[in-house]
Parts: sequence; C-alpha cells; structure tokens
Amino acid sequence: MQDDAYDLDLDRQLEAWAASHSGTQISPELARRVRQNLKPSLTPIKPVPSRGTFSLVLLAVFVAVSAGLVAVMNKTGLHMMTPLQLGGISTILVGGGILFATNLSGQMIPGLRAVVPIWVLLSLGGVAVFGGLATLFPWQTSGSFFSEGVPCAAMELALFVPAAAIFWLFARRGALFASAGLGTTLAGVAAFLVLMPLQVQCMFQQAPHLLVWHGGTALLMIGLGALVGNALRGRWVS
Amino acid sequence: MTQYQSADPAALDELVRRVSPPLLRYFNSSQFGRNDAEDMMQDCWLRIHRSRHTYRASEPVMPWIYSVARHTRLDAYRKRRRLAAREVLVANIPDTLHQDAPEVREDDFERLVSTLPESQREVLFMLKVSGMSLEEIARATASTVGAVKQKARRAYSTLRRAWGKDSKNAG
Repeated sequence: MQDDAYDLDLDRQLEAWAASHSGTQISPELARRVRQNLKPSLTPIKPVPSRGTFSLVLLAVFVAVSAGLVAVMNKTGLHMMTPLQLGGISTILVGGGILFATNLSGQMIPGLRAVVPIWVLLSLGGVAVFGGLATLFPWQTSGSFFSEGVPCAAMELALFVPAAAIFWLFARRGALFASAGLGTTLAGVAAFLVLMPLQVQCMFQQAPHLLVWHGGTALLMIGLGALVGNALRGRWVS
Repeated sequence: MTQYQSADPAALDELVRRVSPPLLRYFNSSQFGRNDAEDMMQDCWLRIHRSRHTYRASEPVMPWIYSVARHTRLDAYRKRRRLAAREVLVANIPDTLHQDAPEVREDDFERLVSTLPESQREVLFMLKVSGMSLEEIARATASTVGAVKQKARRAYSTLRRAWGKDSKNAG
C-alpha cells in the first residue's frame, strides 16, 4: 500500500521533472546563426540506398577481396584440408562475414534499430570460429609451436590493416560516428575476411595452432578495434 | 526533411524552427550548462547537415536526428573529459568535472535523476521529455526495443528505491 503511494508520488515527480525540461526554447538569434551556418552549403543531395543494399555491397566486397587474396596466395593449406574441414570453416567464415557486414551497414545509417546486439554478434562469431576450429581440426602440435605461429599472426596483421581500411573507406559513404560497436564491427568484418586466405595458405592445419595464432590474433584485433572505437566515441569518422 | 535534402531553404528554416528546441532540451539535460548546450546544438546541426544524405524518406525523422545528437553529446563528453585531464596535469588542480558544471539544479528529484547511469538517464529523458516511443528510442540509440525496456525498468526501479528512501527520511 505504501509502495503504491511511493509509485504514485514517483510518477508525479517524473511528470514534474519532464515538464521542467519541456520549457526550454531557443533564441531567434541562435536559430538565425544555425540557418546562416548551413545555408551556404545547402545543395541537393541523393539519399543513400537502403540498409539491405549496403549489406549486399559490403558482402560483395568481402567475397571479392577474400577470393582475390586466396587466388594470389600460396594454397598449401587448401590441399591439406579434408572436404569437411574446408566446407565447415568456409561456412563459418562467410556466415560471420554476413553477420558483421549487415551490422556495419546498419551503423552507416543513423536512426536504425540494431538487428542483433553487438555482444550477441561477437559471442556468436566467437563460438562459431573457436568451436569450429576446435572440432574440425586435429588436436596435435608440432615441436615449434611458437616459431610456426608468429609468421601466421604477422601475416594476419599485415592483411588485416588494408582489409579494415577497405571496409572503412566503403562505410564512409554513410555517416560514421566512432563507438566501441563500430570499432568491433569494422575489425570483425576485416578479421573474418583475412581468416579465409590465411586458412588456405597455412600449412599447420592443427587445432591449437589455428585457435591461438589465427583465432587469437583475430580476437586481439577485434578487441583493439573496440578500444579504439570507445576512445574516440561520438567522433565523426566519415 | 526530403525537401531539405532537395536544398529547399524554406524547408531548412522550418526544420531548424521545429527541431532546435527539442535538441537544446536534450543537450541541456546533461551536466553541461546552457552555453555548452547551445554550442553542442550548433555542432549537431553541422553534423545533421553533413549526414543528411543518410536520411531515407521511409524512416522516421526524429530517431535519425536524435541518433546524430547522441553522438554529438558523446563527443562533447569525451572532449570535456580530455580537457579536464589536461587541466589537472598542467595546473595540478583536482578533478573539476562536476564543479565546472555551470548549471547546478538544486531540485532533489533532478539530483536523483542525475545519479542514474548516463544510458538510463538518456532513455528516461527520451521517454518522458521527448515523448518518444520505445521503438523510436531503440532507433535513436542503435539498440533493441528489449534493451531500451530494460534500461527504462532499471532507471524506474532505482528511482523508486531512492525516492522511497528519501521520502521515508523526510517523513
């Protein structure tokens, strides 16, 4: 009974609080200044295509760049994988690419509801990649785990930077505002892109190597993307 | 908005006339003072202008505008925090982020609302002051309706607890 009284009182307080903010008005001088700032550059513009179109284009970029890299790189790993391993890992990486590309297209257009929250996307992607690598590939290591892994991680980093730059250049067609979500998504789509050519060229098709040096490096880059995005949050990066 | 995209000066005038007051309310609701809120509003208009090509006629206008405004405010927070940190380093004075706020509202309820996390306060403001729906807030904050509902529920229960305690103490 007393709780109901507090609720009613709280509702009244909330209404009063809302009303206290509703009266804010702007001065005619300020409105004039805003108009004056914008009018010189008031030119007709063409609205951007829909989110679906952006997603498709991003996906086409993902497939084209990935296929291009696979074509020019060494294909040792391709011949070492069984059809099940190749099919499984390709499905996971393309699936992740689709999810991250769709999310990135949503971030290019302000005012769009998130289809999948970024933490769900990241968890799904992580479970799929790490789970896939752990179950599809044999659990064995050769003697020099570290010396075999470092070149793979270095190559992944070297491919990641231009891949992220390509997606960022494309995404600039929209309105990009930095955030942890944008950093994660941009790094995520680039990481998924470079994992495929790396998988195809790598001669160490063993779960520990793939998990640590391929998956681990990708995770590190996604984390770095989130940190950079968060550090710059709100900033116009188009 | 579509006429504004077609470079109609009258549409720009009308948009500025209609949208500026809610934008200023939104910026003025934070820890910033009136002058900072006006600066943010002008910055926000520049961003709206630069990103006007990303508005699509099939989508609601206000979530699009609030989405840009939200990033403007986050950017201002970030810059202000960086500035405050520099001030401490150079002049060796304590953190002045809160002392700097030129507009200190004495009202008890305002004080309670200001203790809410920024994301919850923002949802509460959009719901109660801007009169937006859950769907519109989800769009403005690039979130989901479920996440917005959860933030609103948490804000309400925090306020209820704090307000109930305050009322008991007062009684």
